Formats: sequence, structure tokens, C-alpha cells
Amino acid sequence: MSSSARTIPFRRRRAAASARGSFRARVIADFRRNRYVYLMLAPVIAYYVIFHYGPMYGAIIAFKDFSPAQGILGSPWIGLQNFQDFFGSVYIIRLIRNTLAINVLDIIFGFPAPIVLALLLNELTSQHFKRWVQTITYLPHFMSLVVVVGIMIDFLARGGLINSVLGIVGIQSTAFIQESNWYWILYVGSSIWQSVGWSSIIYLAAIANVDPALYEAAVVDGANRWRQMWHITLPGIMPMIVTLLILRVGMMMSVGYEKTILLYNPSTYDTADVISSYVYRKGVLGMDYGFSAAVGLFNSVINFAFLFAANRLSRRANQMSLW
Amino acid sequence: MRNDVTRRAFLRLAGFGSVALALTACQTAAPSAVPTSAPASAAAAASGAATGAEPLTLPIVSQPLTLPYWAPMSTNVAASMKSYGEIACYVELEKRTGIHLDFQHPPLQQEQDQFNLLVASGKYPDVIEFDWLHSYAGGPSKAIKDGVIIRLNDLIDKYAPNYKKVLSDHPDWRKQVVTDEGDIYVFPFLRSDPVLLTFTGPVIRQDWLDKVSLKVPNTLDEWHTMLKAFKDENANGQGSTLPFSPWFSSIPGGWNAWYGAGAFLEHAFIGAWGITMGFYQVNGTVMYGALQPEFQEFTKLMRAWFAEGLIDPDFPSTDQASFDAKVTSGRLGSMVALDGNGIGKYMGLVKDPTFKLVGAPYPVLKAGDKPVLGQRDFNYPGGGSAAISSQNKHVTESIKELDYAYSDDGHILFNFGIQGESYTLESGKPTYTDKLMRDPQLPPAQAMSRYIRGNFNGPFVQDAGYIMQYYQLQAQKDALQTWLAPSDERQMPPVTPTQDESRRFASIMNDVNSKFQEVFTKVVNGSEPMDTMTGLPAQLKQIGIDDAIKIQQAALDRYNKRQ
Amino acid sequence: MLITAYPLLYVVFASLSEPSSIVAYRGALLKPLGLTMDAYTRVLQNPMIAIGYRNTLFYVVAGTALNISLTCLGAYALSRRNVMFKRPILLLIIWTLFFNGGLSPTFLLVGQTLHMADTVWALIVPTAVNTINLIILKTAFESVPVSLEEAARIDGANDFTILFRVVLPLSLPALSVVVLFYAVAHWNSYFQALIYIQSRDLYPLQLVLREILITSNVESMTTSVSSADTFEIGQTIKYATIVVATLPILLIYPFLQRYFVKGALLGAIKE
Repeated sequence: MSSSARTIPFRRRRAAASARGSFRARVIADFRRNRYVYLMLAPVIAYYVIFHYGPMYGAIIAFKDFSPAQGILGSPWIGLQNFQDFFGSVYIIRLIRNTLAINVLDIIFGFPAPIVLALLLNELTSQHFKRWVQTITYLPHFMSLVVVVGIMIDFLARGGLINSVLGIVGIQSTAFIQESNWYWILYVGSSIWQSVGWSSIIYLAAIANVDPALYEAAVVDGANRWRQMWHITLPGIMPMIVTLLILRVGMMMSVGYEKTILLYNPSTYDTADVISSYVYRKGVLGMDYGFSAAVGLFNSVINFAFLFAANRLSRRANQMSLW
Repeated sequence: MRNDVTRRAFLRLAGFGSVALALTACQTAAPSAVPTSAPASAAAAASGAATGAEPLTLPIVSQPLTLPYWAPMSTNVAASMKSYGEIACYVELEKRTGIHLDFQHPPLQQEQDQFNLLVASGKYPDVIEFDWLHSYAGGPSKAIKDGVIIRLNDLIDKYAPNYKKVLSDHPDWRKQVVTDEGDIYVFPFLRSDPVLLTFTGPVIRQDWLDKVSLKVPNTLDEWHTMLKAFKDENANGQGSTLPFSPWFSSIPGGWNAWYGAGAFLEHAFIGAWGITMGFYQVNGTVMYGALQPEFQEFTKLMRAWFAEGLIDPDFPSTDQASFDAKVTSGRLGSMVALDGNGIGKYMGLVKDPTFKLVGAPYPVLKAGDKPVLGQRDFNYPGGGSAAISSQNKHVTESIKELDYAYSDDGHILFNFGIQGESYTLESGKPTYTDKLMRDPQLPPAQAMSRYIRGNFNGPFVQDAGYIMQYYQLQAQKDALQTWLAPSDERQMPPVTPTQDESRRFASIMNDVNSKFQEVFTKVVNGSEPMDTMTGLPAQLKQIGIDDAIKIQQAALDRYNKRQ
Repeated sequence: MLITAYPLLYVVFASLSEPSSIVAYRGALLKPLGLTMDAYTRVLQNPMIAIGYRNTLFYVVAGTALNISLTCLGAYALSRRNVMFKRPILLLIIWTLFFNGGLSPTFLLVGQTLHMADTVWALIVPTAVNTINLIILKTAFESVPVSLEEAARIDGANDFTILFRVVLPLSLPALSVVVLFYAVAHWNSYFQALIYIQSRDLYPLQLVLREILITSNVESMTTSVSSADTFEIGQTIKYATIVVATLPILLIYPFLQRYFVKGALLGAIKE
């Protein structure tokens, strides 16, 4: 036995040891093999520990009646009171529904849009034209929300541009900004307009990474451009799409308050009011940081649950996952 | 984290204590090394106990002294200066008192966040100027209890004779400025005269009135006639006339931060019934407008006006830019606006000489009635008030420095500036010079702020003389007089709920306001029937409006008991 | 196309228009109303603009450099197979996307514990790694064919060599995108500076523009008086600041676009 043990190559022996061996043995093997990897990770981990986990104790203000002077540790503890205040609101159902609705619509329509745009842009032959289109589509990303919403309100007013155009075709003018039914469309639509160009950049980069040899092979096989797109490009960028989709689902409870505050008004509260805008109004009234922290914590927990679920689904379905 | 800070603060204090001891020990050896303000305050304390407040003598210190002073910067000043230290009145102040104020300004529009961070950091500059009444979580009493600022009553008795006199001459001001426990916590910004407290009211296109041959309306019926005439006779000569819009950007924050019904928030129209859109009080009893039967009548009327096309249908969703466009392009016939940033602004913007605005009285129900509610602020609005922090090592000097502004000379300095430069005396009245009123590059508001603080705020008493000169148009002066008419005794004074009360109140009111705004808007513009409004009081009670009223009542009771 | 372009044109036209006309105007702008460069002169004449540009340039370059180095190292490490602690570390990193301590503790950390307040470090170090960018780069690195990595190992390469010689050159498109994202984030950022920076000398461009914008819309809330003249120009300045802030970005992107094509070619050669 011992003689044959000596003739087994070193690596095989160690692998066997790791497989059946102690945790400690495996860790040591791992560190040996991946020492540079861990070296590379060191500064990154340090960053996260210092700047993200260091301040994380601040999350407990969700359970406190926070007062800046008393500090985080000194403020009185009120347990779940903040959460009760939040869930006790008459509007809680509506707020959650609106938040989810806007995000679901944004995912259904807003997520594929940049992908489609990137694929179409990829088909353009004229580099010059391609550059122009790209520039024009990503510029809106840089316009401040105040200006964008200001323009929207102006265009959508009863005497505004949109209604004038509709008037030409004989349609009666509607005050779109005041119609609850229109709000989701306006919100999501303008978000897509503002972000589609910028978001498509990452997909363009992913497309550029697809091996051209595959295309050449496909051409030889007689595939036209559509089939190439379907069978080569799309699968080629699928890892990026899945990754970004999972991350997007992980923001299901987050709708920004800035745009909401600018775009809504009492006529549209029932579809426009989201969790963040409600909390914002309360902040203006009562300067209750514990309350906003509590709602934020609730949102984060739900978001994380969504992310976790999406990740697991993805792993089952196509063996791709975030971790 | 907090313990670290307190420990450090304690160590600092202890360290300072030992240094002070060492210095006094050395006093016999080198008397000039010790700041002479120390023995002066010791003597003052002795004399203070015996004789009451000592008169303020200048200079306050004989050795230069620097006091860190945190204050938000007004945008008027920021336009041309980097620090309050550059303002002429502060340059002169330093010459007179010998104390240098080291100003620290947070970035514009970040004041609340920066203030909170400042408080959280545990390191307080000597003087902190802010709206202690509204913007400290828990209220001013808590600020004292938390050890951020100090109680000033005894110190004022000893070292601030001018401020003390202002408070004793005006007990109604004193009532606004103290906490429920009677603590004085700031050197406040005080507006002295009613003309400084009223600056908003109904405004109508005078030329349109002329065109339809009507006089300025007084009663609601007269308003109705006028608005109908505007609409029917197309008073602006084009299509698309908007007779009236209730949109008004009242100061953001507070309990009703929505602009679509801004006009009503300033008590126009609804005030005719003696109620408001929020809380008000009748002889010490707190009431809430939307619960009253009069509110139903008010809504009915507005709804009828809307149906007749007399109210701008876009009123819930206008923003400042669109509203301004409606006014300056000549579509809007009447509104509620500010005297300065409304009448002044629009008349300046529109070059057409026929464009004339006139301030109209707050409408009443029947002819001969006197208006009960209009717009009137309280003498103590909260902002621009200086508190002494608990870490101030030169309390006596700080008190004296701040007290100066309330003396006669200080009053002139802060409101009018320097004689010969920023003002001259004309028939005994300080009159601003052309440097302020006719600067070639800066508008008056900004030019004034290079010399004085009287046109925005600060720890001093604002003089009426400022506003009467600032309103350069006759229309502005007239509007002011018109809007002074309402008696305004029903308004809620600046009460201070406790921190627990505030939290509960904010919770309830967030929902109440949301429901109220929604129902009101939809009933007025016709998307919901009147029944929804009649059902509103019951819904509000369900949300808890009665508890909110109780909280306000408790706060009002405590306020009324203040000495 | 037109729908997208139009609001942009609106902004440009508005910035070049006569202020009083813009205030009274409603509806579509087909051309500037009364051509004037007033708004631009007001903005660009401000002495702080030069300081703002200089500072922002520094923050963008230094900041992005730090970002990219850390992100590349991290993304590479996390994209390797057979690393035992990869999953827990990834989870810990992703966790920070959702849970954080809030403004107050971070402020105390940066300002008091680390003494970074009012220095350039406050604008570069606390945002050293963006988790989303990290994940994007990791995904890109994962799609580099394993065969290449194995071939390199046989040739005796260690992880650093593999990163620099194999993985990075093949991921140039994704890398350029991440560089772009970081650079633009630095360019647009103002909130960090708002809370940490007191000295005007260190103000980034966005902060300067923001200040110009606020002071040109003079409305003194406490006394509710203002003047018509400054109000008008405030409107057009609003649009001019957008153009001034955005123009440089327009120049960066085409520059980076070249890399999108390059990477693909390199891939063919390596194969």
C-alpha cells in the first residue's frame, strides 16, 4: 500500500486529501492555489468593511426615536413603533401597490427597450449614422429631472403641445397630468425615454464582445441577419442580460421620490403616491428620521427577498446566477 | 460614537480648565497675557447681581476675540459675496464691538441636512443661527434639554439690556419667543410692524376691470360677477381666458405643502366664512376647517365656479414656470400673489404698459362685513434666530455682541447700514441711497444685502422703514394697505408640540392631508360628486383628526399660559 | 427619433433665448426666441467656473483610476472558478446594495474617525467601488473562454499575469463601459461634495453650477420679495447650466466607442 501511495502523483494525492479531508485542509489548499486572488480581493474587502459595514450600525435608527443631538446610540429605543406607524396608515395598500406597479411596468417595458435598441443599433451599417443616433439617445440621461418634468407638464397641459396636436386630428383635449389612469404610462414612459440610450451602452459593449468567428460561421451556413441575431448575438449577451435583470428585480420596492414629487398632484395621488413620496411628505412634516429608516429597512428586506428569489429562479432555469 | 464625542469634549473642557488655572497663576507675572475680558466678566457678574442688567458699553472686548458663528446664507447675499463677514454692517459691527465673527455657511438649500449633521457631530460653534422653532427635531425645549444650546433668561437679565427691553415692551412678542416652560433660547428675528407681516393677497388685472367696467370686488358675489365678466367678455382680447387661478406657491413645508390650492391656504375666499384649510382657533378652542359645515358651502361654491369655467382647470398641476407664463402672457385675470415677488415681479417682467395689477381685499360673504381672515405672519417667524451653543466659552461676550443689534444704534446698523453710505436721513427718516436702490448690476434685494440684513432676516428687530422703501411701485404700497384689513385673530399662534406629540401628529396629518387634498381637488374639478365631500369629515375622523386636534389644543393651552 | 431629440433641442434653444420671452412662452420651441448669449456669459464669467472645471477634472481622473483598479481586481477575483470563499464574499458585497447605515454614521466615519472631511479624499475613497459596476465587470470577465486561461497557466502565468495579459484585453468593451460609468458618476456628482466639502477651493463643477443656478433665482422666502430682472435670467440660466455641464461628456463617449470594436477584433486574433 505504501509503495503505491508514493507513486501516485502529488496533485492527485492532495486532491484526494481535500475531497475527503478536513475543512482546514481544504482552506489551506484554497489559499495556496488562489493566493493572488485573495490578495486582489483584500483591498476591495477592506473598502466594503470600512465604508459599508462600519457605518451599518446606523440602521438601528429604524427602531429608535432618533434625535441628532442624542446620536444614534443615545436616542431612545421604541422597537417596532415606526413600523406600526407605517403599516397603520390608511394608504399602505395603495402605496405598496403603486410602487410595485410602476416597477413591474418598468421592467416589462423598460428593461427590454435598451436591449432592443442595442440590437438594432448593431445592425446599422453606417458608422456615422450609428454615432449620431447613439449620442441623441443617451443625452436625455443627463438632463435634470426638474427640467424633464417641467417640459412634460408644459407639453401635457390642456393648452399644451400634445393636446394641440391631438386637436388637429379632432380629439378632445385632456389634462393628462391630472388623470390617474395616465399617470403610470407617463411615469414609466418618460423614464424609458430618459434611460434607454444610456442603458443600451452596456449591451452594445456586450455585443461587441461576441466572437466574430461565430458570425462568419453562421454566414457560411446561410443564416440571414435575423437568425444571426437570434442564435448568436442574443445568447452571447445573455449572461449580461440575466445579471442586470436579477439586479433590476432587486429594486422592486424602490421608486424614487424626486420624480414622483415633481410629477404628481392631488388628482393623481391614488396611482401616483408611492412609498418614498409618502415618507418624504412625512419627513417634511415631522423630521422623523427613525421613521424613514424603518420604511427603508422594510423596503430593503423585501428587495433582497426579490433578488434572492430571482437569483434562485435563474440558477434553476439557466444555470446563471449572481453568486 | 456619542460616548467618544462626549469623552473628547470632556477632555477638552478639562484641558482648558487646567490651562486657565495655569494662566491665572501666571497673572501676577505677566498680566497682559491674560485676556482682559475674564476679569471684566467677573466684575460684571458681581455688579450684575447687585444692580440688574448693565448697560452695553462699546467696545465689548479690549483684546481681539473671534466667535465661530454658523448661519445659513441668504441667496441675496450669496449672489455677490462669499460670507456674511463681507456685509458692510458686519464690518462696521466688528469695528464697534471689537469681536470678529467667524462665519460658517452651509451650502445653499442644504441647510436642514447640514444642521442635523452639525448637531450629530457634537462639535458646536459658539453661535448657531437657525430656525430653532421649526427645524430642531423635538422643538426648542428639547434643544436645551439635549444640551445643544443654553437657556438664556438669567444671562439676558444680566448682560442684554436692550433685548430685555424689547421683550418687556412687547409681551406679545415675548410670548412667541419663549418655550412653554418660559425659557428664552434665542436672540430672535422679530418683525415689528404689521406692514412687515402681511405681504400676500388677491391680485387682479386692473386693466381688465376697466375693460368690463367693474370696480374692485369686495364680496364673493361681486367676485363671481367679475369673473364671469372676464370670461364672457374675453377681457384679454384673445381666446382662452383664465379668469382666476388658486395656484400659489406658499412657502414649502408646514402642514399644507400643496400649491394648487395655495390661494385658499392664504385664507382668500375660504376666510369669508371664518374658517381655514387647516387648523385655526376661536377664543382658545382649536378647530379644523374641513370638519366644519361652512367648509361644505365653500367647496360647493368653488365647484360651481369651476363648472362655469371661471377657475383654471390646470390648477392642481401647474408649476411656477407655467404659472408665470400664464400671468405674463396675459391669460390670467386674477390670482393670489406676493406683493414683492408677485406684483413686483410681474409688473417688472411685462413691458406692456396696459398691464396693471391691483391688490384686492380679502372677500367677505355679505356687503359691509369685515374680513376675519387674511394673510398675516407672526412677529417671530422662527428663522434667522441666533442661539448660544453649550460649548461656547465666551458666553458673556456673545450675549453682549448679539444684544447690540437690539439697541437703537444696532437697530439702525442692521436695518439701514452706515450713514452716508447706505442711507441718509431725510426729514429724520433713514432713506436708502442709490447704491442700494439703483445699483447698475444688482437688483435692489441683492444690492441691499451687501450692506444690511434688514431685507432678509437675522437676530434683530426688522424696521418697517425697509419695506415701505422696498415697495417702489404705488400698486405695491396700495395692495399692502388693502391686505392689512383682516383682523386675523383666528390664526394659530406658533405653538410648540412636544416630541411625542409631534411624531403622532405628523403620522396622522400625513394621511389626513393626503386624503383632504385628494378629495378637495377632485370635488372642485368635478371628477367626484359633492357627496364625496360630505363624507369627508367622517373619513378624517377615522384617520384620527380628533387626536390631532387634541394635540394642537394641548399645545395651544400651554402657549396661552406662557408668561 | 424626433421625440427623443426634441426636448434636447428645447433645452438648447431655451438657453439661447431672450429671458423675458421664455418666461411668457408656452408650448413648443422651434427656435430660440431672440438669440442671446446672456445666460452663457453669466454662467461662464463666474470665476468659480474655472476652479470647478479644474477640480472636477482631477476628481474624475483620480477617482476613476482608483475605481478601475479596485474594481478590476475585485471583478477578476470574483470571476474565478474554484475559489472557496467566493460565494460568501459575493453575498456580503451584494448585501451592501440593500442595507446601509444612512447618512449620519457615514458622515461621522468619514469626517471624524478618518478626518477626510474637506479634503479630496472624501470625494474619492468612500465611493471607491460601485457594486453594480463590479458585478457587470465580473460578468464580462466570466465570459472569457476558460481555454485561454488554462493555456496561460500551463505557460506558467500567475493570476496577475492572466488578468493583465488575457482577461483585460479581451474585455475591453465592458471595461470601457465601466470606465465611462465611473467617469460620468464623478462628473455628475455633487452630493458628496455638498456634505463633506467646506472650502470653496475644492468645489467640483456641479456644485458651482448649482450655486449659480440657485443665486440666479433670487427669491428670498423670509421676506417674500424679489426683483424681476434676476428672475428672468434665472430661467435661461437653468438651461444653460445643463448644456455647460453636459458638453464635455459628449466628447468622452465617441472616444470610448472605439474600444467597442477593438475588443472584438482582438478576440479573433487570440483565438
